Amino acid sequence: MSYKLETVLRIVKLGLNNFWRNRWLTLGATLLMTLTLTMISVFLLFSFIVRDTAEAIRSKIDVTIYFTDDAVADEKIMALADRIKSQPNIQEVIFVNKKQALEIWQRLPINEDVKKPVSDSYNPLPRSLQVDTTDPDEIQGVVSSIEIADTEKLICNECVSYVKNKDAVNKLVSITRLVQRVGLFLSIFFGIIAIFNVLNIIRITISARSDEIEIMRYVGASNAFVRGPFVVEGVLYGVLGTIITTLFIVLVSQIASGYISITADVLNLSFGAYVLHYIWQIIGFQLLIGVILGVVVSVISMRRYLRA
Amino acid sequence: MTTDIQKADQEILRIGAPAKSERKINTSSKPLIEFKKVTMQYPGRLAVREVDLEIREGEFVCLVGQSGVGKTTLIKLLTIQETPTTGEVYVAGRNLADLRSKEVPLYRRKIGVVFQDFKLLPQKTVWENVAFAMEVCGFSNAEIAKRTEKVLDLVNLGRRAKNYPHELSGGERQRVAIARALVHSPKILIADEPTGNLDPVNTWEIIELLYRIHQKGTTIILATHNRQVVDRIQKRVVLMKSGKIVSDQHGGKYVI
Repeated sequence: MSYKLETVLRIVKLGLNNFWRNRWLTLGATLLMTLTLTMISVFLLFSFIVRDTAEAIRSKIDVTIYFTDDAVADEKIMALADRIKSQPNIQEVIFVNKKQALEIWQRLPINEDVKKPVSDSYNPLPRSLQVDTTDPDEIQGVVSSIEIADTEKLICNECVSYVKNKDAVNKLVSITRLVQRVGLFLSIFFGIIAIFNVLNIIRITISARSDEIEIMRYVGASNAFVRGPFVVEGVLYGVLGTIITTLFIVLVSQIASGYISITADVLNLSFGAYVLHYIWQIIGFQLLIGVILGVVVSVISMRRYLRA
Repeated sequence: MTTDIQKADQEILRIGAPAKSERKINTSSKPLIEFKKVTMQYPGRLAVREVDLEIREGEFVCLVGQSGVGKTTLIKLLTIQETPTTGEVYVAGRNLADLRSKEVPLYRRKIGVVFQDFKLLPQKTVWENVAFAMEVCGFSNAEIAKRTEKVLDLVNLGRRAKNYPHELSGGERQRVAIARALVHSPKILIADEPTGNLDPVNTWEIIELLYRIHQKGTTIILATHNRQVVDRIQKRVVLMKSGKIVSDQHGGKYVI
């Protein structure tokens, strides 16, 4: 059914009027919606943090190949790098030349007396290839990939090094995975409880207006028109819920920023900055969930009033 | 409104031009409303049994009988709040059971309904209550303003337009409800116990108003158990008893 603009405006106005007129009920519905969205957002944020820190930890597991023999030409090493890159599971291969190795050396947090002897004129530091993998669980596969790529036998024994505490890292990764799953389960569980409450309060707001629905039908309003204002209200619950939730989350995260160090330690971002980094994704997610939930619940709850 | 809807609108109800005030009821033409062997079975209660009833255009029919004999059920069948268990209800030659769900609202605009409890919206003024009926049907603001003023004048409530229902007397409230029912210029006006909550003075006001509307050519169905009203109107009286029509007389009185 196509509507004139006048009719659409009328429906929006009716929806807004109803929202205001039953403000205690609609406030309740909005707050419950806020609670639902806050819960979902917190778990969303939580799973972001778990994912990002796990990623950060996992990305630190890389393989480094050292070239102690300075006689080998840079070009040969670069060629080897290209061959390694063409192997599966390899994300990136970075060549670190002597000059860069020196820079890294000078930045290391170690005793200056140890650092000093090494300089531009005396640089025993080896060149290296830093091999990043796509899947840190497959370190062994990467090592054998490197062996396959090394057709010219440039790599000496014991020159391929990778993180020795791999098991410890893997354990951490599997714990974060467990945490992520528990978080997901909890968010679904609490999400269902919250949705159930939203459903109930919206049903109450609608049954408070069953007279109005009845009258609209008596005077010949189409079902679409009767439904219209409730759809508008459903959208309002979602939008207002999103606004309140976002303000709440931003405020709390800025205040709590100094006390939560996990993001700062692993990701070099303060907690507050981390939340702001994801704020648009969170807002989008809230709007999507909030509006769909509000509209779907409203339309479903009033369906029984629309039966002839 | 799309032209599709307008077309459907015309198809649903070709009820013909309103009767002139002095027009005689044409008994040879097809009836406007026709109940054919209508039975309505509610769970555990047979509300209407095998009712046959014909109502012609321009008639004033008093549907009488005690509470619970099936008057309201007949009205609900007419407004498509219920569909008969068996039998058919025809309005303007069309079986109501054949109306598609999208056509039902369009059909309802052609019949006005008034109830004992008025069913006004308490938060809306008299004007808004009447205008609301047109708003929900997609009329333009200009049309609504014009038409609302007209029907409020018709029921003599022009000066109460800005009042809220709780500021009005019972009779005035019922007149607002009648104005709302008339806003679509219905061919049929159904009044279900419209005077049930009113004192005698207000009752006569309402009955007179219904009579005036009838004089302008609207077919009226008045369900009531008020003996004085029926006796005074001296129109067709259809008496129901436990779901059946037991007598049907023109110029009749309320006899049990």
